[in-house]
Amino acid sequence: MNNNFLLLLPEFIVTGLAFVVLGLDLFLPERRKWVLPIVAVVGLVVALVVSLRYLWGVSDSLYDGVIRVDGYALFFKAFFIALGGVVVLVSVDFVRRNLEHPGEYYGILLFTVVAMMLLAASGELLTAYISLELLSFGLYVLVAYDRYNAKSNEGATKYILLGAFSSALLLFGISQVYGLLGTTRFDEISSALSSADALSPGLILGIALIIAGLGFKVAAVPFHMWAPDAYEGAPIPITAHLAVGSKAAAFALVLRLFAEAFMPIVEQWQILLIGLAVITMLLGNLVALAQRNLKRLLAYSSVGQVGYLLMGVAALAATGSGGIMLHLVAYAVTNMAAFLCLAAIYNITGRDDIAGMAGVARRAPLVGLVFAVSLFSLAGLPIFVGFTSKFYLFNAAAAQGLLWVAGIAIFSSLISLYYYLQVVRQLYIEPAEDAAPIPVPRLTLGVLGALFAGMVGLGVYPAPLMEAVQYASDALF
Amino acid sequence: MVPLLYYQLLSAALFGIGLYGVLARRSAVLIVLSIELMLNAVNINLIAAASYLNGIGRVIAIFVITVAAAEVGLAFAIILRMYRNRGTVNVDEINLLKW
Repeated sequence: MNNNFLLLLPEFIVTGLAFVVLGLDLFLPERRKWVLPIVAVVGLVVALVVSLRYLWGVSDSLYDGVIRVDGYALFFKAFFIALGGVVVLVSVDFVRRNLEHPGEYYGILLFTVVAMMLLAASGELLTAYISLELLSFGLYVLVAYDRYNAKSNEGATKYILLGAFSSALLLFGISQVYGLLGTTRFDEISSALSSADALSPGLILGIALIIAGLGFKVAAVPFHMWAPDAYEGAPIPITAHLAVGSKAAAFALVLRLFAEAFMPIVEQWQILLIGLAVITMLLGNLVALAQRNLKRLLAYSSVGQVGYLLMGVAALAATGSGGIMLHLVAYAVTNMAAFLCLAAIYNITGRDDIAGMAGVARRAPLVGLVFAVSLFSLAGLPIFVGFTSKFYLFNAAAAQGLLWVAGIAIFSSLISLYYYLQVVRQLYIEPAEDAAPIPVPRLTLGVLGALFAGMVGLGVYPAPLMEAVQYASDALF
Repeated sequence: MVPLLYYQLLSAALFGIGLYGVLARRSAVLIVLSIELMLNAVNINLIAAASYLNGIGRVIAIFVITVAAAEVGLAFAIILRMYRNRGTVNVDEINLLKW
């Protein structure tokens, strides 16, 4: 058994970086702790460069298929490292003002990045489960990080109870699939399913429980109950990490699982996923209409986005998987921009409800502009990346024959436009109660500028991203 | 030998009892206890399957035991923090965040 462990160099770098950050936190005095996020970001940049330089074009695996290192894994590795870097940058000002013990915060954040990278690279159910649990544990702690805040405790309690419950469901599904098919590797499951003539009830139960467990992790309806409370209770950078990173990681697993392992029985699960997608889209967008707190609104809006992604999974084919990955990247950039704007406003005004956004565009013009642009992008308006990604996703679904589902998706997109415009109205039209300008740190402005350039640039010229997505989905099929 | 189906039925029954416990209990501590019951039911399922298939089910079971122990530690730390702040572990009473 010759394993080339150099293939896992990015994971080793990020894990080592996490330990370095934790160790530095032990020895640094309080006044020098501003070094920690810088170390984290520099280390993540190194890991990104290493992974792109050495793993481009590699298609290999360790332990005979358990950990896959191919184009799909590389795409998501680079994506998650970049995402981790952006979350660290979003957290710098927030952690300095509102939270204690920054070293552990950044260390645990880096461990969640490692877990996400391994989740995209897993080729087998046990590896996927362990990576998922590492990601979840890190997130449980990070959601509870604001120790003396009652909302943070409550959100974290609901999150961990439902999260542990869902991983028990997932695990029972894994044990059923293992018991009845005899294997946990995705390729062997695929061959066992294609040679089996009929699905036994136990196997149907197992696959349904796996879908339920993963449905909890991505906050699909009817498994979404934890999401609004966890998002509202968590510190804003962690809400961003939950909304973007953990969903993208879970979808990376879902894509590989359904494209490789469950593809032979696609007729059975397609209708189930279509049903889940439709109720997720509709319920997420309809309940968001009634929200007054901005974090909760963004939580329900991300439940709606999960509905579009599930529609993409239901329409999974060699041509369709690119749309999902494109939408994940677009959704990541947009949501990060929205949450960073919210964090910048909250750090000064202490308000995170919609009414608290009144007149912000006059008090912090750049923040208001990027916030408005990110909300338009989430709604899917043209020249922004949200339009491009939604177009390709709905196109892929329609090309597979799911026309009425694509129609419902367009309808719920229209509904979402209403509540996004509510926030834009508060930003630009409503007068501010206190007209003092909001000071925004230069780092935040820099990151906002980069994200804005990403949203507009990818919306107008998506070709490089689409090539990367094509490279990734070629490796998947 | 006892057929595999009987072990799977036992595991499913324990899982169902744990599932009822999670949904019906009001104390967060008892909910964590029920989740543990569910995870142990999964372990029975895995080990029974491994004995019949001579496969890696036993390895998965060891991983599950470790992860369950870590999960319980985390869950109780968070519940303890909530208890210190709010004075209760009754999940019906923690309702600052609603709708």
